[in-house]
Amino acid sequence: MLDEKPVVLVIDDEEAMRDSCSQILAKDGFQPETAGNGDVGLKKARDVKPDLVLIDLKMPGISGFEVLDKIKEHDPSIISIVITGYATVESAVEAMKKGAYDFLPKPFTPDQLRIIIRRGLERRRLIQETERLRREKMLMEENFITMVSHQLRSPLGTIAQYFEVILAGMVGKVEPRQEEMLAKARDRLESLMELINDWLDMARMNRGQIVDRLKPLSLKEVLKDIVEFMQPSAQKENIQLELVSYSGRDVVQGDDETLKQVFSNLITNAIKYNTPNGKVKVFLEETEDSVAVNVEDTGIGIPEEHLNYIFDQFYRIKKKGEKKSGGTGLGLSIAKKIVEAHAGIIRVVSKTGKGSTFTVVLPKARPESEKE
Amino acid sequence: MDKAKILIIDDDPDFVDAVTPILKSAMYDVVCASNPAEGKEKALSEKPDLILLDIMMDSLFDGFSLCHDIKTSKEFEGMKDTPVIFVSAVKEMTGSRFQFKGEEQGLRGPDDYIDKPVKPDDLIARIERLLKN
Repeated sequence: MLDEKPVVLVIDDEEAMRDSCSQILAKDGFQPETAGNGDVGLKKARDVKPDLVLIDLKMPGISGFEVLDKIKEHDPSIISIVITGYATVESAVEAMKKGAYDFLPKPFTPDQLRIIIRRGLERRRLIQETERLRREKMLMEENFITMVSHQLRSPLGTIAQYFEVILAGMVGKVEPRQEEMLAKARDRLESLMELINDWLDMARMNRGQIVDRLKPLSLKEVLKDIVEFMQPSAQKENIQLELVSYSGRDVVQGDDETLKQVFSNLITNAIKYNTPNGKVKVFLEETEDSVAVNVEDTGIGIPEEHLNYIFDQFYRIKKKGEKKSGGTGLGLSIAKKIVEAHAGIIRVVSKTGKGSTFTVVLPKARPESEKE
Repeated sequence: MDKAKILIIDDDPDFVDAVTPILKSAMYDVVCASNPAEGKEKALSEKPDLILLDIMMDSLFDGFSLCHDIKTSKEFEGMKDTPVIFVSAVKEMTGSRFQFKGEEQGLRGPDDYIDKPVKPDDLIARIERLLKN
């Protein structure tokens, strides 16, 4: 950055003004560029990418105010300084409102020009530096989470893989007592991996990022993928998992990845907390301005006193005599975070011994955004 | 039908070691490669019936590009229909099973995803389903 001369563009219809500014600027180690009117100035700004621009307010053609407005479109961090011979408080205020960094009434001395330019460039340097640091920090955060996730999960996954193979009896006979212990070790390892996942999710799930990724999306498609994906684990638990066909409108503004995470979480729970030979029914319902996804199970249900808290972080329903911990206590709060970023609602109706229905209500996409 | 041949491309030898017995128990032939370059070579020389491909090896996304090559490049002519299953320990990273960003960048995705550790039954079921097609 230091070896490059800062570029200063002078937009003024007076030739004398352009020349004298250029001379001062060149002498001071800047690279001067000039334009005789607003249009040329804007074009030049695009070509030479100035760090700072001096704009005369009164020019034939487009006015200095308009130049001020438009020049920000190319480079939001550009420093604009207004120079004018018709300095009034009103025009100064107006220029500042339009984003000018400073105001220099004509006539001015070379020193005044130097000072104001140096200050402006310093300001630009700070803005750029801040932006650079912000970007670097963001990149580090993103990669950090991916790397941590990978480096923590990889070895655990391999350890678990050995357990799986040994437990499946694929490398020799396993005695019952050994099998029991190995199975416990595997289960503990699995919950540890789940916990790492959920923590990282909680850390990285960021409302703004989800909102940025929203696009028209067919819920039917999303659910079809998920249900298909979950089918093997449902079968393993002897649970009948069904996606009810639906012909209503199903397009919402959604983020595919995180919505799939929500539904896969709900369906996983519905399978996990079901009764033997139970059912999980996934069905859609339409209201005037929203689409609801219901995940209904025939499971053990959630006692009423817990219903208000199940979406809270780390909330877990403890039951007497139940040793196995039911997950990390983060799944539903992550789901809630995601659904809320979609401007939706998640709710639950449950009856102990009968089952629970989790419902995710998402606003319909507006028809014009459905068109591809 | 002859025994189907499965190529595992993964940079973690222990993972390969642990998965091989699963495949063998289902009577598959197994060949392995421990990096993308070797994977490419083995894919061409061994002509496997199915490929298990680790997503993150040397770099974060080399699994994605290898998969894309197999599915589209001239080099792999005749292998376009070889099913590829992505295997990854990282569910929720930028390339989770649900978020194959590569597709947005025009990369061809895999035929299926499976998370590490793989459940023996699940893995076999997924392989069988793909081989039947």
